[in-house]
Amino acid sequence: MIRFQRFLQISLFALFVFLLWLAAHPLPGWPEVDLFLRLDPLISLGSMAAARAFIPRVAWAFIIVGLALFLGRVFCGYLCPLGATIDFADWVLAKKKPGENGFEGGRRYRLLKYFFLAGLAGSALAGLSWVFLFSPVSLATRFYSLVIYPLVLLVSNIFLDVFRPVFPYLGLDHLALVHLNVPHYNTNLFVFLFFSAVLALGMIRPRFWCRNLCPAGAVLAVFSMRPLFRRVVSDRCTQCGKCVRACPMGAISGDIETTAHSECITCLKCEEVCPEKAVSFKVTRKVPVLAKEVDFGRRKILGAGAAGMAVAAVTMTNLYHLHGKESPRSLRSSRLIRPPGSLPEPEFQDRCVRCGECVKTCLTNTLQPVWFEAGLAGLWTPKVTARLAGCEQACAACGQVCPTGAIRPLSLDEKLFAKIGTARIEKSRCIAWEQDKKCLICDEICPYNAISSQFVSDHPVTVPVIDENKCNGCGYCENKCPVEGESAILVEPLGEVRLAKGSYRENARELGLVFHAKTEVRDDFILESAKGKRGQVKPAEKPLPPGFVVDP
Amino acid sequence: MKRTGMNRRDFLKMSAECAAYTAATVALTGVFKGAEAAEQGPDLVVSNGNPGPATRAAVEAMGGIGRYVRPKDKVVIKPNMSFPNPPEWGTTTHPDVVRELTALCLKAGASSVLVLDNPLRNSEMCLERSGLRKACANLPETQVQGLTDRRFFQEVKIPQGKALTSTMVMKKVLEADVLIAVPVAKSHSATGVSLTMKGMMGLVYDRRTFHMDLDLDVAVVDLCTVLKPTLTIIDASRILSEGGPGGPGKVVHMNKIIASTDFVAADAMAVEMGTWYGRKFKGHQVKQIQMAHARGLGRIDIASLSVKEVHG
Repeated sequence: MIRFQRFLQISLFALFVFLLWLAAHPLPGWPEVDLFLRLDPLISLGSMAAARAFIPRVAWAFIIVGLALFLGRVFCGYLCPLGATIDFADWVLAKKKPGENGFEGGRRYRLLKYFFLAGLAGSALAGLSWVFLFSPVSLATRFYSLVIYPLVLLVSNIFLDVFRPVFPYLGLDHLALVHLNVPHYNTNLFVFLFFSAVLALGMIRPRFWCRNLCPAGAVLAVFSMRPLFRRVVSDRCTQCGKCVRACPMGAISGDIETTAHSECITCLKCEEVCPEKAVSFKVTRKVPVLAKEVDFGRRKILGAGAAGMAVAAVTMTNLYHLHGKESPRSLRSSRLIRPPGSLPEPEFQDRCVRCGECVKTCLTNTLQPVWFEAGLAGLWTPKVTARLAGCEQACAACGQVCPTGAIRPLSLDEKLFAKIGTARIEKSRCIAWEQDKKCLICDEICPYNAISSQFVSDHPVTVPVIDENKCNGCGYCENKCPVEGESAILVEPLGEVRLAKGSYRENARELGLVFHAKTEVRDDFILESAKGKRGQVKPAEKPLPPGFVVDP
Repeated sequence: MKRTGMNRRDFLKMSAECAAYTAATVALTGVFKGAEAAEQGPDLVVSNGNPGPATRAAVEAMGGIGRYVRPKDKVVIKPNMSFPNPPEWGTTTHPDVVRELTALCLKAGASSVLVLDNPLRNSEMCLERSGLRKACANLPETQVQGLTDRRFFQEVKIPQGKALTSTMVMKKVLEADVLIAVPVAKSHSATGVSLTMKGMMGLVYDRRTFHMDLDLDVAVVDLCTVLKPTLTIIDASRILSEGGPGGPGKVVHMNKIIASTDFVAADAMAVEMGTWYGRKFKGHQVKQIQMAHARGLGRIDIASLSVKEVHG
């Protein structure tokens, strides 16, 4: 029969996958799709430390930390989706004859995770968060979102294509016209390799990552040295050592009786394999404990913290670092458009844990994880890739799913006023401006009515003109521009509005931005503001509206 | 031995059917059944009233749906559902018109009704927010789909094309027996208005070339030499008088539905009945209507056509 822990672990992993699947527009009101991210202690503590703020949404992880005091590292054994994946990978990769697996064997390496934790803490104190590289739930979410999800859709489409000719015979007419949109993601191969490397460590030791490297595990380990609920060995024990060899965490001492509770994930494997039924888990305090279970030495920990601080400091003095107050703004890529509702860049990077949840949720696939466009510390932060797709005005899902509030959860109404950039026409590339072609696709598509087609002197056809106060930066124009290669109309961060708090609507009113055009029907099609202002609109007396010819 | 649902003979039979089906697709290219000849039917019908009832009255005045849809016919309805805007914006066909028409087709015995468009914006959003998916949700044998993937399109030659000589059109349209165009009447920033003819671009895969390489008006007329709807119903319940095609813009309520077998006449009628940018226009002031008339695709001289006015 399947072990209780395995059953619960698989069920919770299925829930993780299901929630990730639900992370799409329209979002369900309940459950919260980023639940697992909220429970990760590293995301919680790391983001709060770097952002110097209490973030209620990820405070849920305190429950997990509190739970460790009583139940030990149950998070690792039951809840963690990375742990579940590693268990599966270990089962596939497992060596036939594992080597020495007692707690004392690899003791030195186990300290690494505490050093990583200290390093992350040092870096966070200096104001830079590297949590995204180590957070187990972030790692797993990123992997399943950016790597696995598109693959599932791709394979489904192949099935659909193969069986499409026979659908009419199977009474499945409604599937005949179904084709799933497969999202494409930047950096996905790297995400895959990174994740694979974590799994491949399992070839050295089972749960290598969890034993030796995971700083979230380290947080929980610190709190689970003396849990209430513990492994107990009765005098039926024959010292056969099966439990020592079977323990996925190598948490059992060579003397078999003693357990390193900071490493025990309460997976109950030892209980299962014991031929004498000598092992059980109980609420008790009467068991021997390891002396100096975690002995890293204060000096080393401080050294690791200092090293983390140093890494942060070096990163922050990198030319392309966008993070600090004195950031060289002129070196910001003019293609780096952040999702609507993103906090000001420093706070944004502090909080963003690069989980990829917003990228997965994005309705149009416009959100993409970046390489180093936002500086070294900006790896995997999301950006709007307008050439690929526009940001849909009736969707604000990215902010709704962000666990740390790096993207603020905005209502659709507020999102409307969260200007993410401004479109600019590259006239030398525009076929209306340059080649007198009757192309008005950007005008046609603009959901905010910010582009109008106007007669301008020296141009026989109407040409597109942008009213920057109406432009929300959604990027539909850039997406649909028919020019081959780079678009002739580009959305740039100029004029983006990023508020740490307060209403975007109010702010837009103060700035004189006019986005209300889209919420109601109005008759302001011919731009008044552009007339006269540019001094180039044909002064002809009442020209015909675009597309009509003179009545002969 | 295990019994399976299909033996070899069935399989071969099915394969043959599939092959025949594919061959038929190619043979049918661009040809829909015409309407059954009616004695003294009107050339144009203008129907007044709320969108649903006015549509029913318009079809009735055009000789009834049975004239166009015969039992077992595969019907494609082409509304405009290119934008994720509510019906009040006038950028998409009114859901009541499409539902009424679909119901009529089913009543006439249509084996399937596909409501198809290749939306400009996100497909799901367009279907949801235009209200068209919901409008047809409870009708049997009916699907509302926004097709955007290349696999659903097939290359079609346009022998009479002056600018556009071939393009990719939805396979389901080519397989259909009947094509009914249900555009909404709206202004268009490039072609003056967007009606039946411009709407046919929604059945095409790649419209970039229409804008980029060709004269848009000529290309639209070229397209209409192969995609001639059996019946045209123009939704002028409200028209987007300015700010088209995407809106928002000035919406003028007309409470009218125009019907005809002659899409050029229907388009011309819609132009002349409506007010565009606060002004009145003649059909021949819209280049594509003028050109379609000159190329013999229909009649622009609506003054000399028989027009029947009804109330729904």
